[in-house]
Amino acid sequence: MLYIHQSYCISPQQTFMNVDWNVLHEAMDNKLKVVEPAYENIPRNVLRRMGKSVRIGVGAAFPIINEIKNIAGIIIGTATAGKEDSFTFLKQVMDYDEGLLTPTNFVQSTSNAIAAQIGMLSANKFYNITHVHKGLAFENAMFDAAMQLKENPQHDYLLGGVDEISDDDFNLNNLAGWYKKEIVSNKDLYESNSSGSLAGEGSAMFLINDKKENAAAKVVAIKTLFTKDEEEIKQQTKELISENKIDVFISGENGDNRLQRFYNACESLLEEDIAIVHFKHLCGEYPTTTAFATFLACDILQKQSIPNIVIKKSTDKTSFGNILIYNNYQGEQHSFILISKA
Amino acid sequence: MSRIFITGIGIITSIGNSTEENRVALMNGVCGISNKTKYPSKYSGVLPFGEIALSNDELKSSLNIHDESVTRATLLSVHAFEEAIKDARLSSKEISDSAFINATTVGGMSETEELYHDISATQNASPFISSYDVSAPTVFMQKHYGIKDFANTINTACSSSANAIMLGARLIKNGFVNKAIVGGVDCLSKMTINGFNALQILSDEVCKPFDADRKGLNLGEGAAFLVLEKEEDCANKKIYAEVKGYGNANDAFHASSISDNGDGPFLAMQTALDVAQLNADEIDFINAHGTATENNDLTESRAMLRLFKNVPRFVSVKANIGHTLGAAGVIGAAYSALSIAYQEVYPALNFKNKIEEPGLVPNLQYEQKSLKHVMANAFGFGGNCTSLILSKV
Repeated sequence: MLYIHQSYCISPQQTFMNVDWNVLHEAMDNKLKVVEPAYENIPRNVLRRMGKSVRIGVGAAFPIINEIKNIAGIIIGTATAGKEDSFTFLKQVMDYDEGLLTPTNFVQSTSNAIAAQIGMLSANKFYNITHVHKGLAFENAMFDAAMQLKENPQHDYLLGGVDEISDDDFNLNNLAGWYKKEIVSNKDLYESNSSGSLAGEGSAMFLINDKKENAAAKVVAIKTLFTKDEEEIKQQTKELISENKIDVFISGENGDNRLQRFYNACESLLEEDIAIVHFKHLCGEYPTTTAFATFLACDILQKQSIPNIVIKKSTDKTSFGNILIYNNYQGEQHSFILISKA
Repeated sequence: MSRIFITGIGIITSIGNSTEENRVALMNGVCGISNKTKYPSKYSGVLPFGEIALSNDELKSSLNIHDESVTRATLLSVHAFEEAIKDARLSSKEISDSAFINATTVGGMSETEELYHDISATQNASPFISSYDVSAPTVFMQKHYGIKDFANTINTACSSSANAIMLGARLIKNGFVNKAIVGGVDCLSKMTINGFNALQILSDEVCKPFDADRKGLNLGEGAAFLVLEKEEDCANKKIYAEVKGYGNANDAFHASSISDNGDGPFLAMQTALDVAQLNADEIDFINAHGTATENNDLTESRAMLRLFKNVPRFVSVKANIGHTLGAAGVIGAAYSALSIAYQEVYPALNFKNKIEEPGLVPNLQYEQKSLKHVMANAFGFGGNCTSLILSKV
């Protein structure tokens, strides 16, 4: 469907530029917050006005837009971009009883601010879109990107997934029961056996096109489902693993004991020699974690080795060709992404 | 590749609760914008808005939805969606196999009081706790209609639902689905009222698109959905128009205003022509974005003058219904489809004097007119510009 040529990720771990999987940065108060780079190439006056999601979005995209000119489209998936500004503005509206306000937060409150800012910084006037379908925002962006490549072969596209933790959004998700009530270390995330997960955030950006030569990885399939029935998830898993010989299964398990049944159902179908990897103790839970998982899959395929820190079940295999990512957001939105060696 | 036809339309705006009511109101030059609004904002009665008369309770009872987590954005969406699927006579199986794409900028965040409570509450969440997200109306409708496969929500500010139409058409063209139900919604909210007020672009009188003395925009609320189907599936079906072209471009200039020469609007329109394989002089009519702000109408006019040797007749319905933000693109497209289906153009309201430099005059009268190709524009914050071309079948 599409080839990934470059990938950059700003996450709570050391994943940007000098990737180091040997150190685990720990969660604070059930939040895994991004390690932000210095953003040396972004003008200070522009940087100062950016909210966090725009900053980490632009930051991870910058090495790509700086090098590749004539990108034919900017395709972003995000569920939380602009929320911090929305809520800040809302509080001003209410606290000042709809008095006279400055529009800064309002202007930055729409979800398309990341794609817009990347477009502006790179003077890119082509296709520019923001998919915001919650836990499938990145998958839908990836699907759109694959379609764009089919329609416009031989072009480069920027594909990204970005989400941020803001205090107000954390509170809303916490109130809705999606974060753990007790303080849990990310080291113990999978043993916590309670409801909820840790909050996370991150930005991953990919340069994609339809050229196999020198590609880092190939996205072979994207499937999304909306269901509460684990049988449907099993069915989809069976289909994908019977058609493709899987070497690594990346599980989106997040320590929420209400959702574990979906991940267990998938794992129960895997052959003995398939490695199982999990990653949410590194990045926490947020709607576009599959962008982080895609970055991790590219890393495994390129280096032909799995970082110890993400191994749930090891394998004797020494070469890795096909990786299947399965993720589930809040129990209803499911996705499978199949990524292979280019 | 298959041609894509519009076989169903559902619309709710301040000038009507159905497609037919909207059409009659457009023909008669009805304006739904007034100071007599019920929305609980300090600016109700002070600034004019295009408010839909139906209350949430009335919508709930007519739609038979009694879930207390449902927001106005969802109710307006369901109302318009129901009309669209009935119009296209889709079976429930056909609905659940369709792609569903909704677009909105505010979504459930219009329930301001509850949201304000919930963002700082430690307990006693309001019933809306999981309904604020921009994807919440889509997710509710996925469940309500059993849509299992492809569902999506798009937010590119005020061009959102034009992009929903474009994505739906592309999904069908690429063979991923046979049908797509696409549209968008936004309702009045304290966020947008105060936001646009802070930007000082809300007019204190009914807006005057493309007029030299325009004073800004009026906010409106609305929802519309279109059913898109492949030509081969449309035998014996009513067909409003073909989705012939679409273009998405970015102005890459400023977060909340369009560049002087209207680069984004120009490129969006040009790309739509390229996709439709049409020359500029084949466009018969334009449903302009025409928000009636100083910036939009001037730059959109300049972009039209750059593209067209003779600018076709055009209108902005913002003077009828206000700016419906995320829904504006699909409402403009729906009105364009009606123009094509009934071979008629609707009159611009509140226009007196042309803007000196571009010197363009919108279409001023209702008229029966032979129309082959109609363009519909939608531009938004972040420079997101999308243009669509609908054609007579």
